[in-house]
Amino acid sequence: MTEFLETVYDKFIFRVKDSYLYHREDFWAFIQASVATIGVTDFLQKARGDVAFLETVESGTEVKQGSEIGKIETIKATFGIVAPVSGKVVEVNPEMEASPYLINQDPYGTGWIYRIELTNLESDKAALLQAGEYFELMKQKIAQEARKLYG
Amino acid sequence: MEIRITKVGIVSCSGEELPGGTLCRQACRKVLEKLKPHETVTICLPLFIAGGEEERTFASNYPTITVDGCEKLCAAKATEMLSGKPSKSLLIPEILKKRGLALPTKLRDFGPEEEDAAQAVAEEIAKAVDEVLGED
Amino acid sequence: MGKKHKKVLVLPCSGIGKTYGTLAREIAYEMVEQVRPGTATLTCLPLLIINDLNARHLITENPVMTLDGCPRDCAKKTVEALGKKVDRPFQVIKFYTAHKELKPEGITQLNDAGRKLAKVAAEELAATVDELAGQEK
Repeated sequence: MTEFLETVYDKFIFRVKDSYLYHREDFWAFIQASVATIGVTDFLQKARGDVAFLETVESGTEVKQGSEIGKIETIKATFGIVAPVSGKVVEVNPEMEASPYLINQDPYGTGWIYRIELTNLESDKAALLQAGEYFELMKQKIAQEARKLYG
Repeated sequence: MEIRITKVGIVSCSGEELPGGTLCRQACRKVLEKLKPHETVTICLPLFIAGGEEERTFASNYPTITVDGCEKLCAAKATEMLSGKPSKSLLIPEILKKRGLALPTKLRDFGPEEEDAAQAVAEEIAKAVDEVLGED
Repeated sequence: MGKKHKKVLVLPCSGIGKTYGTLAREIAYEMVEQVRPGTATLTCLPLLIINDLNARHLITENPVMTLDGCPRDCAKKTVEALGKKVDRPFQVIKFYTAHKELKPEGITQLNDAGRKLAKVAAEELAATVDELAGQEK
């Protein structure tokens, strides 16, 4: 099984990691036992540009699926970090302060943002997409972005 | 469902050391943004050289036009080394000579004369894009 | 006492796809033309790949600073691919994070804030040029 699903637009390769779950707002969750590691998808980091700053919530913060749990400022835009799952933040990636560009360099790996102790996974799953489903959604979003750029 | 659009990759020399390099960048950006936005993609030469996967994959699969600011032909040579011979190689001093325009003497802060030169080069690049796409 | 370096090579990535590539280039020009003329010097990055002897000589004989516009670090990687360690690598986005009031925009032409940021960054880098030029060969 390949690790990533890939599609190409112009020169850009967009990847979706196969073993993760996805929120429609372009954030991923990797579930291990009762903890989810979360981050930004490859599509979103490419669409929004190089990350300059991150504003994060503190460890211990209770979060609800779909709520905003911080902000990312890139060279193009500022947007909210959307919680793909509900729970309690147990760790903020310590590398994010000095090296926020990890989100661009390795969005599914070292560019993770939070670890969240899950409180409602079974219910949250209804709003999460499997990799293949998100891949199809992503392709539609890519086409929409292209129409915005080129008409 | 793959999204595929036929485009040409434009490889501009970065020419930090000479005015022709800055002119090259300006002209290529004009083509990308105004003259042929639907038909062209920029190949970032430094990223191409440093091993950028997307730049190299695109340049291997699509036609490229290189634009160089001087006779050292870095963009043309690097493209040929790293992905294959470009479909067309343009040289700015030749274009300006053909159009009766002077090469800029400044590295930055271009004025109206240099803008005219950039427009002339951009038009030649756009013509080359049409020729390459017409051939495919 | 050993001989000191006369030149410090400043290599911007000049990435054409992003504002920060243009910013890197503008900072390099500020250093070479205004802040440390005669000491800071440039060469074209792609000359290194096409085996231009003068460019390669500049790299091997002088300390090198790279100014990269994004985390891909193209200028740094290009120098390292030739077997030379970059003496001082910089990512120019960090100048923006330190001076949030000066947000650079524009790729073909930098906006006023971008030009100001380039001047500020060049002044801040002057000490690094002095340090590297003062090192013994």
